[in-house]
Amino acid sequence: MGGVLAQAPNPIIRWEYFIDEWDQIQQALFEHLELTVYAVLLGLVVSAGLAAVALRFRWTAGPINGLTAFLYTIPSVALFGILVPYFGLSRLTAVLPLAMYTLIILVTNIVAGFNAVPREVREAADGMGMTPARRVLRVELPLAGPYIIAGLRIAVVSTVGLVTVAAIIGQGGLGRLILDGLLRSFWTPMTIGAGLSILLALALDALILFAGKRATPWDRSGRGAL
Amino acid sequence: MVFAQAAERRDIGVFEWLFDPGSWTGANGILASLADTLALCSIVVAVACVTMIPLAAWLAHTRRGEVAVSWTVTLSRAVPTFAVAGLLVPISLRNGWGFEPWPIFIALLLLALPPIFLNTYTAIRQISPSVVEAARAMGYGERDVLFRVELALGTSVIIDGVRIAAITVVATEPIRAFLGGNGLGRFVRDGLGQNNDGLLVAGAMLVAGLAGLTALLFRMFGRVALPDGVRRLATTTTR
Repeated sequence: MGGVLAQAPNPIIRWEYFIDEWDQIQQALFEHLELTVYAVLLGLVVSAGLAAVALRFRWTAGPINGLTAFLYTIPSVALFGILVPYFGLSRLTAVLPLAMYTLIILVTNIVAGFNAVPREVREAADGMGMTPARRVLRVELPLAGPYIIAGLRIAVVSTVGLVTVAAIIGQGGLGRLILDGLLRSFWTPMTIGAGLSILLALALDALILFAGKRATPWDRSGRGAL
Repeated sequence: MVFAQAAERRDIGVFEWLFDPGSWTGANGILASLADTLALCSIVVAVACVTMIPLAAWLAHTRRGEVAVSWTVTLSRAVPTFAVAGLLVPISLRNGWGFEPWPIFIALLLLALPPIFLNTYTAIRQISPSVVEAARAMGYGERDVLFRVELALGTSVIIDGVRIAAITVVATEPIRAFLGGNGLGRFVRDGLGQNNDGLLVAGAMLVAGLAGLTALLFRMFGRVALPDGVRRLATTTTR
């Protein structure tokens, strides 16, 4: 950096920056993607477990929903702040809260998806002699698919948005470009960081939508949960 | 590591700081910051209510805008507040409007609009058609149907939308401290900047506490403000 002087005009965006600082932009973009993927994967694993418990033991559904709703209301700035003394300014400190925020939407949608499987279908599977594990994997999971994918889309899009906030603890991919530009009163990185993070969210949303349609060709309703 | 490098460790105890009256008073104290945060958040939620409740009520009453609703559902969890504010700051500064409050105001407003719109819309649409027909049969005009039947029966769901919006706004407002403003998030920012874990955790507790308090207040308000019958009729929609 350093090439940009205080006297230089400071437009909203300076297109040469894409060429001059491409390495930095690419790195930020990759880090953003990485944090999003880690957080959503972790969230998905935990959600699958919580949803399984909620479906198996019905009375736990209320408390689990309450817990995930409570986690969702904790401000991200507070959550990042509270974890810093324990995990430092690390990737883990960024990923844990991000994963926590995905739980509410993922658990809700997984549970809704499995609940939407008609009882006759489940009974037919049992009648054909499927073991419960096989029935869940081969019959119920595919039928719940559209709901889970709908939840995944919202989780990914909102996580991409929240990753930028992790810039306050030195993580945050494209968010770091925003914060960096702000501190130096240099608008180009801010615009690029903010713009790219919005584009990344849209791109990932479209990707999951497309992949989901390919993976669940039997769902012609075109709608998921919610 | 923008904020986190430099600065020697300067730890003070969390509670030592919280219980020191000096932390609460003064222009940079907790009370002033709290007032700052509350002012912004209330204005945002108020503006969202004033615009979205009439709009959604009218659309729902006239059975219009189904598409808008499905869009709002997707949008409501996806607004990248930090990025939006980040995009708006340069534009605002170039126009001489300063760091605050426009960029963060608009970013927070975008966050508050969807739940209020959505809940008002569904509140009215979920009312059983037979109730509305009965009202019409009794000679209620359009205005009466909207105000005395639809809005009256939908109150609790609408309040629930306002609750979700308020909690989200209060929980997100602290990023303002990192975008050239102040508010309750400033202690988290200063704690990070000064490598001061005590201040950092105390600040985080304040921010989380306010969010919790907001949720609690709305819960109590929801209990007190509604007649039993309406509360029993109502089913909560989103979250």
